[in-house]
Amino acid sequence: MRESFSIWWFAGILLLAYGVVIFSTGIWELSHPLANPPVLNNLHAPIWWGAMLAVAGLGYTIGFRPRQTVNKRRK
Amino acid sequence: MHLTAFAVSTQLARLNWIDILVIAIYFAIVVFIGFYLRGSSNTSEEFFMAGREMTAWIAGLSFVSANLGSLELMGWAGSAYQYGILAMHWYWIGAIPAMLFLGIIMMPFYYISKTHSVPGYLKLRYGDGARALSAVSFAFMTILMSGINMYSMAIVMKVVLGWDLNFSIWVSSITVAVYVALGGLKSAIYNEVLQFILIWTGALLVPILGLIEVGGWSNLRQQIATNLGRSDYVHLWSTLGHFSDNPMGVNWFGIVFGLGFVVSFGYWTTDFLVVQRVLSADSIRSARMAPIIGAAFKMAVPFIVILPGLLALAVLPFHLVAQDVAVQTGQHSFNEVLPLMLVRYCGPGLLGMGVTALIAGFMSGMAGNVSAFSTVWTYDIYGAFLNKKATDRHYVAMGRWSTLIGVLISVGTAYLVQHAASIMDYVQQLFSFFIAPLFGTVILGMLWKRATKEAGFWGLLAGTGTSIGLWLWVRNDPSALRYVAMSPDAKDMAENIYRALWAWIVCVLVTVVVSYMTKPRPVAELEGLVYGASVLPKEHDDHWYQRPILWAGIVAAIFIFLNIVFW
Repeated sequence: MRESFSIWWFAGILLLAYGVVIFSTGIWELSHPLANPPVLNNLHAPIWWGAMLAVAGLGYTIGFRPRQTVNKRRK
Repeated sequence: MHLTAFAVSTQLARLNWIDILVIAIYFAIVVFIGFYLRGSSNTSEEFFMAGREMTAWIAGLSFVSANLGSLELMGWAGSAYQYGILAMHWYWIGAIPAMLFLGIIMMPFYYISKTHSVPGYLKLRYGDGARALSAVSFAFMTILMSGINMYSMAIVMKVVLGWDLNFSIWVSSITVAVYVALGGLKSAIYNEVLQFILIWTGALLVPILGLIEVGGWSNLRQQIATNLGRSDYVHLWSTLGHFSDNPMGVNWFGIVFGLGFVVSFGYWTTDFLVVQRVLSADSIRSARMAPIIGAAFKMAVPFIVILPGLLALAVLPFHLVAQDVAVQTGQHSFNEVLPLMLVRYCGPGLLGMGVTALIAGFMSGMAGNVSAFSTVWTYDIYGAFLNKKATDRHYVAMGRWSTLIGVLISVGTAYLVQHAASIMDYVQQLFSFFIAPLFGTVILGMLWKRATKEAGFWGLLAGTGTSIGLWLWVRNDPSALRYVAMSPDAKDMAENIYRALWAWIVCVLVTVVVSYMTKPRPVAELEGLVYGASVLPKEHDDHWYQRPILWAGIVAAIFIFLNIVFW
């Protein structure tokens, strides 16, 4: 059986990668404040938004990881 | 949208390396998907119809995503700034009823007829005349629209980021060409699902942070009323009693019957760009559920498109102006509202995601156009009239080549628009010429056994001719708008809506009259094509909560509730 990648696995990888990058940026900005911060920068949106993306991405990456057997969810 | 306004504005933001990384990750994944799916697009069924193996969720998200082009995102955000919450009608009454109708009533006929395209259905129902007319007009307009989308994206990248126009056009179009030519419709659909997720994750922070800044919806309404000195920007229906009572210059009749019925049903049920996504479903049940799932998500899109436009009315410290004024003064135009709001709330990384969302919107729109063009060209023009007896392999090769050539023509259109921006306004209206009458032809064909071959062709031609004629009339004599839209207070939006309504009425009348003057086809020949002459296959749902009609009812109930809430 040919191993296939689910579209949801791709989505998980993408969200996980973005979550890690955005979250890391938010953490970095805590110690290196921006010269021209956006409006409501005090809410630290990159930290919580990045964390949410990473958690969602991790869930999809694991839940739809490629397997050797046929899986009905895969498409 | 007249986008020369963008070109005179100054650069809004500068991306740093994190933003570039975010954009690069996106490009890497979409190209990888194209190469990965290359091996599963060897037959025409696989290349043009994605093997008819998409689940309801994938087909449904792709169905909505193909419509979320860059013009759609930025144009309607600008319209929300310009006209207020009335722009929401294009997402709710201008989409939801039609999408549910497609899923519940029309999809079974498209699906069991095993057609590859909407022109293909017309061939089965009415013969070659109607097919040729709709295929040629669709292929021509689709590829032009693709170029216009490309130009609008490139010009925004120039304004927001200072990117060179040629760089944006060629990089994005080559990327789309690579992944669609390699993986066919399946690659386009997979990427559209990813792009839909990206559009949401990249744009969702703007309304969330915007609502926090203004202190919630009630404060937003108050702030808009205070800033503008009028309260009609935040009501969906209560200002539609007369053309002069609202910023858009339309009335309820035009919105309900012109937009909600003709324009909406025409686009969502007969435009092959979106219908092709649903035809790729793996079963008739998935094909019926896909538009219903799409409708649920479509209903939520105003949160990331319309709401930012409304928030801009409350929070931006300067006023956006009409396109022609922006060209003369160098101010920002309505159409820049979404990038402006992104820059307002998003720092490094998040801005890269927002820009990626705009690029993803462009790519999903262009891939939708190009894959639909490739299918209609190969099946309904080349295979139907130019080379009927080629091998399956030859048609797949033609599909790949027509994808590449379609992209090149789109690039050419983008440069053409650059030098003659008014073409863009015209072409968008031209596109609407064919959609409204096409809906009349298809719906009569599906629901009325008596409609004949000759009537299908002449009805479609008369409806299209009416639409073009009315458009020319108003262009030559602007005062004619009072007759077309039935009021001297009507504005541009009303013209488009009423023109579509007239075109549909003429198409239906001509089809009915010609049908009674010509000989009908035997009912036996209409099996699988027309309501009342077809036995629909039984659907077996394991549980009552899996029935499409139930979910359509839930979506319809939420739709009614939302319209009442924002009345």
